[in-house]
Amino acid sequence: MSRAWIAILAAVVLLPMLVRHAIATEIWIFAIFGLGLNLLLGYTGLLSFGQATFFGSAAYVGGYLLKHGGVNVLLVLALGIVVGAVSAAAVGYLCVQRSGLYFIMLTFALNQMFYFTAYQWTSVTGGEDGMPGIPRPAFLGLRLSEPLAYYVFVAACFVIALGIMKRVVESPLGKILQAIRENEVRAQAIGYDARRFKLLAFVIGGAFSGLAGVLYAMLFGIVPLEAIGFVFSGNVVFGTLIGGSGSLYGPVIGAFVFIWLSESVSVIWQRWPLLLGVAFVIVVLFFRGGLVEAWDRLATWWSVRRLRGVAET
Amino acid sequence: MNPSLLFSQILNGIVTGMLYALMGIGLSIITGILNIPNFAHGALFALGAYLIYTVIQALGNFWLALAVAPLGVALLGLLIEYAGIRPLYRAGHDYQLLLTFGLSLIITEGIIVVWGPIGMSQLPPALLRGGVDLGITIYPKYRLFVMAMAGLLVLGAWLFLEKTRYGAIMRAGIEDKEMVSLLGIDIHRLFTAAFGLGAYLAGISGALTAPIRGLNPLMGVDMLGIAFVVVALGGLGNLPGAIVAGLMIGVAQSLVALVWPEASVAVIFAVMAAVLLVRPQGLFGIR
Repeated sequence: MSRAWIAILAAVVLLPMLVRHAIATEIWIFAIFGLGLNLLLGYTGLLSFGQATFFGSAAYVGGYLLKHGGVNVLLVLALGIVVGAVSAAAVGYLCVQRSGLYFIMLTFALNQMFYFTAYQWTSVTGGEDGMPGIPRPAFLGLRLSEPLAYYVFVAACFVIALGIMKRVVESPLGKILQAIRENEVRAQAIGYDARRFKLLAFVIGGAFSGLAGVLYAMLFGIVPLEAIGFVFSGNVVFGTLIGGSGSLYGPVIGAFVFIWLSESVSVIWQRWPLLLGVAFVIVVLFFRGGLVEAWDRLATWWSVRRLRGVAET
Repeated sequence: MNPSLLFSQILNGIVTGMLYALMGIGLSIITGILNIPNFAHGALFALGAYLIYTVIQALGNFWLALAVAPLGVALLGLLIEYAGIRPLYRAGHDYQLLLTFGLSLIITEGIIVVWGPIGMSQLPPALLRGGVDLGITIYPKYRLFVMAMAGLLVLGAWLFLEKTRYGAIMRAGIEDKEMVSLLGIDIHRLFTAAFGLGAYLAGISGALTAPIRGLNPLMGVDMLGIAFVVVALGGLGNLPGAIVAGLMIGVAQSLVALVWPEASVAVIFAVMAAVLLVRPQGLFGIR
């Protein structure tokens, strides 16, 4: 077992002892969401600004089923994954026709379409008020309504998701996606249908977003309208870039930072998105290398200070 | 269906469509030059609306406010480029994009902090209150004014981009930045100017919209997606494209509002999806 996996398992065990269970759970959910985006952003070089489309759609469908059907949890998760994948296939089909700036704008615009649909379809989604009252039924004797039990369940989902994503990016498919990122024309010339593979990346990423969406709905017992809104899409891009889009584990680190950041600013002030925006700007302007660079800078600053101290004495 | 209602809805669609076109042109200039989608574009639009509201409160003159408020937004645009985007040239587009996203959060939430979360309304100037009898229907004067004003601004933007030296430099910058800077033109000043100009167009669109739709903090977010649609359909830096795309979705939106009001916003994106299914390259192709 590699060092990264040991670190992650240690984090899974330690996290609920350090922070509230709900926050710990939210971190892993956001990490699953980030894994899905990073297949597009980091591995395929596609900046999707519409991941909340798939996250939110699955959250609504899963929430609706749990609320009205009393269905098996695993079945709901599976359906959420399917909803995420199918909505991503539909959106992705349009988006991969274009590249670069147009691609980013299309992912965003289609996200808005889903948002306004959810906003107006109040009989199902509850519109601005959200879809409340989503239960967490028991699963194989595990009472998921208990926060710690649900944490264990979500953490297990995350570990499985991470394992699957590792297989995906290390598979020939993952290499083809990276080839497209590095040089699309060349990948095309070698004989890979770039659009089809981009679409495939979309579908896989959408499936991960869908899983995260259903878990999110179950965590809070409500699907807020924001779950399908563009700020959510932006948040996961931010988290992933901050953690580092270059590696498999980057989005996981990003999830820690982002959830920690948003939880800490949200208790300060009711208008916390403003503080979050300020944090975005500060991080982007001064710490864009991600955490690793920030750590290096801190270490340099510290050693310079210590050396000065030595010189003065 | 009542023909006078239908006619005035089509006119409404043209008015909003012209405003969409203005937003799209502004976004197109910024996006084309800087190579990033400006996620703060909607927030700048909202800021234009709120600034004109405040300047009218302070000075009591709509016309003066219409001149001043968009300039305030343009100034902010210059500042954003100079202090925010410019240090990030080396860092790459992802980070510039995140910066504009962060700024859009700050401006939107800042509006709520300063002006409050509840919507407000703004009367048109005294001269433009009431309606004009167009034969088939009586139509509000102010909307006709917006139609004319937006038309003039689009014309102005076209004249500037096509007929002036600076406009030519800007178009060249959209085509090939490296070549422009090799010709000895200060590319950074070009970028700053482009951001200011784009922000001005967003600001004046917002200012003109305020008496029609009133003000609310989220008006910018709604507009941002629409501006993206205009650029995606019309093409970057393509003025006729922006006008056709803007009018198309504006009219579609107000016609759908007649029969199915709940779907009137979603239809904008549905139209875009439909067009892109048939013509993936947009209405006029892409460069």
